[in-house]
Amino acid sequence: MKVLVQANRCQGHARCLAEGPDVYVLDHLGYNSTNIDEVPAHLADQARRGALACPERALTIVDESSGSGEASGSTPTVRRGHR
Amino acid sequence: MTTIQRGANGVPEGAPVVDFDLASHNRMADSNAAWARLRSTSPVAWSADNGGAWIVSSYDAVSEAFRNWESFRSGRAVRTIPGPGGSPDLLPINAVPAQTTALMIPEELDPPLWQPYRRVFSELLSPRKVEALAPRIKHWVTKYLDDVIESGRCDIVDTLTSGVPGAVVLEWLGFPENEWHRLGAAFHNMSAYLPGSPTAQRYLNELEWAFERIREEVTATRATPRDDLTSFFANIQVEGKQTSFEFATGMVNMAMSGGVDTTTSVASAAFVHMHYHPQDRQRLLDKPALIDSAIEEFLRMYPPARTHGRTVVKDTEFGGFLLRKDDRLIISEASACRDEAAFPDADKFVIDRFPNRHVAFGIGPHRCPGSHLARAMFKEMLTQVLERIPDYRIVEAELEEYPNWTALGGWSRAPITFTPGARRL
Repeated sequence: MKVLVQANRCQGHARCLAEGPDVYVLDHLGYNSTNIDEVPAHLADQARRGALACPERALTIVDESSGSGEASGSTPTVRRGHR
Repeated sequence: MTTIQRGANGVPEGAPVVDFDLASHNRMADSNAAWARLRSTSPVAWSADNGGAWIVSSYDAVSEAFRNWESFRSGRAVRTIPGPGGSPDLLPINAVPAQTTALMIPEELDPPLWQPYRRVFSELLSPRKVEALAPRIKHWVTKYLDDVIESGRCDIVDTLTSGVPGAVVLEWLGFPENEWHRLGAAFHNMSAYLPGSPTAQRYLNELEWAFERIREEVTATRATPRDDLTSFFANIQVEGKQTSFEFATGMVNMAMSGGVDTTTSVASAAFVHMHYHPQDRQRLLDKPALIDSAIEEFLRMYPPARTHGRTVVKDTEFGGFLLRKDDRLIISEASACRDEAAFPDADKFVIDRFPNRHVAFGIGPHRCPGSHLARAMFKEMLTQVLERIPDYRIVEAELEEYPNWTALGGWSRAPITFTPGARRL
């Protein structure tokens, strides 16, 4: 399982950290800076809940065992360069 | 998309025109019912009230509007559509009807000017930095409960939900302790009464005093910095230059007005809720681990900020209509949080609701940077009340809602009685 972070969507709500404290990492400003190759099996639930909790839909779980990408919700309009 | 022609009075012809006067919502229940009716028929509608504005009420439309900072701006704008009385007004983001108060930085800035100031707030209030404030939060919750716990009676708003955020934020800002209550009350009461009402006019003078105190403290700490947040803002370098006096006071004003009253609103609502819904209180007492999801659900059900304003800066297609430059939007977080399409059983308190992607703190780039501090203060208040005065009851006859649910909502008074307990300090 992988977590894809769309950093330009993250607005620092930190709900991913609340649900997945062992998966997600924030930078000094509080924005998501998670960079992991593969989510270990025992943290899969944390990763999924963290992605689902994101109000900005910035996180996508890619579960290779099922061969599908589970977006955390509908696709918002992406606007670059806001921070 | 429907292209809207403008009539002589600026009213868009062909748009769903509603009579949506926020000033007539004098109770939370009225406000929620009015938003629910509007949301079910016209999630984006035009209302001539308050000088004319697009009213945005569904979860999806609210989210899209808040994210579209390129079209919908937070900076103050001069009203070009005639307002009540026909005079041009400066339009701040958070007052309905518009009322000009001191500038708030960074909330009333737009990119690119906004970015460095927002970074300052994001860093100051990051989850990591808020953890360092935990001992102060715990201290003030403990002390303020100590002050009343032997008596068996208090006004939980004055004592706790207004007192604690005031103490935490004003101590951090370095304002003298003997001014905390008066400063907190100035912001609290300004939110409670409708701008223009006689009561609000009285409190406006108190708010002017608060702004004067901010200017005095910024002046004093520019000359002689102290080890506090006011000194930090007063002397801050942004992109290599010392910030202007106006922007320094705007940042102190932001920290104070954002800090002292908003957490008050949701925490008061939670204590009122648990009085009228004892089963929810009991579930938290039986299973304290539910507190984090309960906090999110209280925020969704009772978001302190009900609406925010924006100004259209370029013609933009939105909600199936063409919005024109200089149009105003009133965007409702409170309505979005009760949208059935986003939250099944939206009017029901579901203690373990998940996911709960509410927009109580807004969404998009202007998301409340104080959200982590707000959650920490709210959690400590909730935890200690449930531990120390778990049987509290609201004195219902003395409970007072804000008469104004336009921009913010809350409770002016919530007297409680409880079995007396022991002090901790």
